[in-house]
Amino acid sequence: MKLFLAGTLAIVKKELLIELRTKEILVTAGLFGVLVVVLTSMAFFLDDDTARKLAPGVLWIGASFAGVLAMGRSWAREREGDAIRGLLLAPIPRSAIYAGKAIGTWIFVMVIDVVLWPLVGLLFRLDLVPVLLPVGLILVLGSTGYVAMGTLFASMSVRTRARDLMLSVVLFPLASPGIVAGVVATREVLQGTPLGEVLEWIRILAAFDAVAIVCGLVLFEPLMSD
Amino acid sequence: MGEPFDRVEVKGLVKVYGATRALVGVDARFPAGEVTVIEGHNGSGKSTLLNVLGQLVRPTRGQVLYGGLDAKAHGGVALRAQIGILAHAAMVYPDLSGRENLSLYAQLYRAPRPAALLEELCDRFEIGRWGERPARTYSRGQLQRVALARALLHAPRLLLLDEPSTGLDVRSVDRLIEAVEQERARGAIIALITHDPGLAAQIAQRTIRLARGRVVEGEPDAEARA
Repeated sequence: MKLFLAGTLAIVKKELLIELRTKEILVTAGLFGVLVVVLTSMAFFLDDDTARKLAPGVLWIGASFAGVLAMGRSWAREREGDAIRGLLLAPIPRSAIYAGKAIGTWIFVMVIDVVLWPLVGLLFRLDLVPVLLPVGLILVLGSTGYVAMGTLFASMSVRTRARDLMLSVVLFPLASPGIVAGVVATREVLQGTPLGEVLEWIRILAAFDAVAIVCGLVLFEPLMSD
Repeated sequence: MGEPFDRVEVKGLVKVYGATRALVGVDARFPAGEVTVIEGHNGSGKSTLLNVLGQLVRPTRGQVLYGGLDAKAHGGVALRAQIGILAHAAMVYPDLSGRENLSLYAQLYRAPRPAALLEELCDRFEIGRWGERPARTYSRGQLQRVALARALLHAPRLLLLDEPSTGLDVRSVDRLIEAVEQERARGAIIALITHDPGLAAQIAQRTIRLARGRVVEGEPDAEARA
């Protein structure tokens, strides 16, 4: 366990250091997310009621698309110079590589979400203050499972030619339980449903997170060894 | 497997990728204190053999024995801690400096005094002030010096060299030969893939020739087969 934690921490630090230096993922994926939100707000804004109905979908589309870009770029760094081979040879549990990459990407996705959520609120004229915490919780849970699953499939891009295409094609159907639960829970909260009545969706999100994290930790090593 | 091993053997090694048979029943032996050159044309299975020895690829059938112990039962983190690999690709992160890359690997290999080790490596491989620049800006020779330091920082028992001299100038090749000689004198087990007959003639004690995934020259003696 100590080895796992030490390896995970070293890789998270490496991810953050590279991003701090290049700002590549936050700028490209973040701008893409912002673009999606701005364009959809222009195309679909009709009145306040319609806006409230559309906002959850726009938020999750922006966050999901930005997330897939972030995951793809994060693993592209491992392909460059064949750096992944050095990591795979290191004396740490290989699941620590997965965990470190997933936590690093999760931090980037959360930073992007922190930008997108107020932007959606602004463009769709939402009163954010009363729903800040519930929607924040839903975004954290939704992003966790999405990134956990996406990191596993993005790792396969190191060894395939189709790469980004394969990631999108495989990830979105498999992550749909988490994304759908996230969209529905956000919609209910924005329509004023008390948090207690949204708990079922939050439980689905938590279960999806658990399944995605366990699958990632267990399947990463066999995927990278053959 | 925490104990240092004195030899590596492969017995009846088979590796199949889909319809491609990369290795077909390979038997070979790699003794300590000797450089074994693995020769063969492109696609003969050399890199696959090296990746199997480095625990980066799982064989389809056959045994890989480290000091007589089967990797299937005794592999994992402790075994990988005794393996170093140097290839044409430097396996470093281009956006980190050489020193930051080495510091990352010192953490992953749990070096007891990482700062002192870093200084020692920089002295040994003549990594000067340029080592503080991003690795992306390095010449091929500088990059290979950092890669060599990365591969040797944990004084591996088994050193795997996959075309390490490609693209290097004469001075850099001399430096590489000197480092390999030092490792051999220390008693390391060294396997080298090279298309440079001059380099092979200069440092090899033994040669194994592969063709279409089979050993065609330099097969092990009867004792090794037993």
